[in-house]
Amino acid sequence: MIDCAGLTKKFGGLTAVDQVSFQVQRRSIFGLLGPNGSGKTTLIRMLCGLLEPTAGAGRIAGYDIARESDRIKPLIGYMSQKFSLYDELTVEENLLFYGRLYGLHGAALRHRRDDMIALAHLEPFLTQRAEVLSGGWRQRLAMACALMHQPQVLFLDEPTAGIDPVARRELWDMLFRFSSDGMTLFVTTHYMDEAERCSHVGYIFLSKLVVCGDPDDLKALPAVNPPGTKRLDVTCDHVTTGLQVVRRLPGVRTATVFGQSMHLLVEAGVSEQSIRDTLRAAGIHEADIRPIAPSLEDVFVALSAGGRA
Amino acid sequence: MNPLRGFQAILRKEFLAVLRDRTTLFFMFFPPLVQIIAFGFALDTDVKHMALAVYDEDRTAESRQLVDAFVNTQTFRVVQRVHSLDELAALVRRGQVYAGLQIPPDFTRCLRAGRNAQVQVLIDGSNSTTALQALNTAMNIAFRRSLALLLEATGRRDLPVEVRPQVLYNPSLRAPNFFVPGVIGTALQIATVFSVAMAIVRERERGTLENLLVSPISRWGLMLGKLVPYLCIAMTMALFLFAILRWVFMVPIAGSPGALFVASLLYTFALASLGLLVSTRAANQNQAFQMVMTIMLPSIFFSGFIFPRETMPWIFYAISTVLPLTYFIELMRGIILRGTAITEFWRHLVILAVMGAVFFSLCALRFKKKLG
Repeated sequence: MIDCAGLTKKFGGLTAVDQVSFQVQRRSIFGLLGPNGSGKTTLIRMLCGLLEPTAGAGRIAGYDIARESDRIKPLIGYMSQKFSLYDELTVEENLLFYGRLYGLHGAALRHRRDDMIALAHLEPFLTQRAEVLSGGWRQRLAMACALMHQPQVLFLDEPTAGIDPVARRELWDMLFRFSSDGMTLFVTTHYMDEAERCSHVGYIFLSKLVVCGDPDDLKALPAVNPPGTKRLDVTCDHVTTGLQVVRRLPGVRTATVFGQSMHLLVEAGVSEQSIRDTLRAAGIHEADIRPIAPSLEDVFVALSAGGRA
Repeated sequence: MNPLRGFQAILRKEFLAVLRDRTTLFFMFFPPLVQIIAFGFALDTDVKHMALAVYDEDRTAESRQLVDAFVNTQTFRVVQRVHSLDELAALVRRGQVYAGLQIPPDFTRCLRAGRNAQVQVLIDGSNSTTALQALNTAMNIAFRRSLALLLEATGRRDLPVEVRPQVLYNPSLRAPNFFVPGVIGTALQIATVFSVAMAIVRERERGTLENLLVSPISRWGLMLGKLVPYLCIAMTMALFLFAILRWVFMVPIAGSPGALFVASLLYTFALASLGLLVSTRAANQNQAFQMVMTIMLPSIFFSGFIFPRETMPWIFYAISTVLPLTYFIELMRGIILRGTAITEFWRHLVILAVMGAVFFSLCALRFKKKLG
């Protein structure tokens, strides 16, 4: 559905997106991760036809993004970072406006409006102006507006930035439903847990796409699981103190805090007992150690460290 | 593909948005109303009843007649009588009177003896309008008096040369009749250009422009949808202003309402297109504001609104020929005061229409459907 090769965007001397290539299959949820300023928004804007690529090419539904944007526009929906709405219009008027913008009218327009109101549960707010809505409701309305014309591909730029956890959960439930109805979704985020839900993920770091693929495949990559190593989860008191001492232990390659526990990448020869001994020497007597599979975060840490080296 | 795609959606949305946005409406309607009323009443160059101080050293029937002659012109009213020349000069210096009249003690004697009788008039020249009027009136009185005496002496009953002026159009030479059409032009200009200039730049600032750009809307549809609502509001305002002209300032409208309508429509079209052009160029509302001011200021001075264009240095005259206001003011003076038929002004109308069409096409053609 989306296919780009060597897509590059330069702003003067700054390269915002550097030779990015990837494919997104129809009906999949593609999650693009990366820190702020890594080029996520620039990439999404190029795909939506808002920015001209400096080099490279991209296709959406078989149409070239630089030359055939007129054919692409009716097929795609776009929800920008700020949930831009017309504040002085009511919820219903916003929906109708976006429908008309895509050429809907008459019964089809009214029908679509009703569907979107039901989908986003906007019934209580229909006659209220968009300016009075809170963050979560603004986001729902913005999404409903972007869906009025039934796009085949929906681009969402950080759709969960600044909204509460319940609204976040509900948004993802909706995205899964759209995907099972046949829509292709392209989502940018910097939440790892959201990335875990995507059918495909890409990680963009310093303008380059470092890695891209199925989360399970990525976790099985040799670069993530170097031969002769294992990943351990260590749960103990005083995690930060524990981290300091464990890091000094020979054979420990990386150690990162994860809430109440730490994730270690250690060489196969490092025994659980040696870790316990080290912790006990630092005054930590209770420690629960178990082997774990790598998380997506581990994947991205491993791969972006490799990319930097 | 439909070249006006998205026009209807933008049109309906923009109408709703403009009518809901009380602040914008207020700033569209209020300043022009204040402007027309302030200018109409205050910009009256027919100076009447200027304060005059009199130092009459003669105190005869003749000297009193002379003072009466000053008052009878309605240009002056006597506010104070003084008893020394210093006092007279002090009143002028302090700005308490516009002029001081000194009649010397030998005024009547000289007059009767047929000698040259002199009176002195002190005029405050710091305001050129009032000073000029005071000077003209004083000279006029002296001339009339002299003429009457000369005619009496020679026995002639009429003047050797007589000019019989007949002022066509605006016969009372009232200043409001001359100014208010120009005020309508500037008021429409401020309201229309400012509000339209914000139309697209506001969407850019809010981020909604991105949503428009990813949609299949056409450039012409977007621009026309933005233009038409403001054009309607500007025409409504023009109607208000003409009503004020007619029924508040009592300026008779000699020409046809149809001519006024066509002229105003073409003028507001040119203005709105100009505003739209600013809006597509500016990065934010502040920049749009500054760009509008840059266009607006020269138009106040060079359009012939206050100073006649014909006496301007060529560079200012050249500037005036590219200002829509210049043509609108000439049209309005023609239609309102002289009752000129619209066909006699076809050239002005064509120029306004071409300006509007060029600005509008520039908006649509040069508007990039991209960010950055």
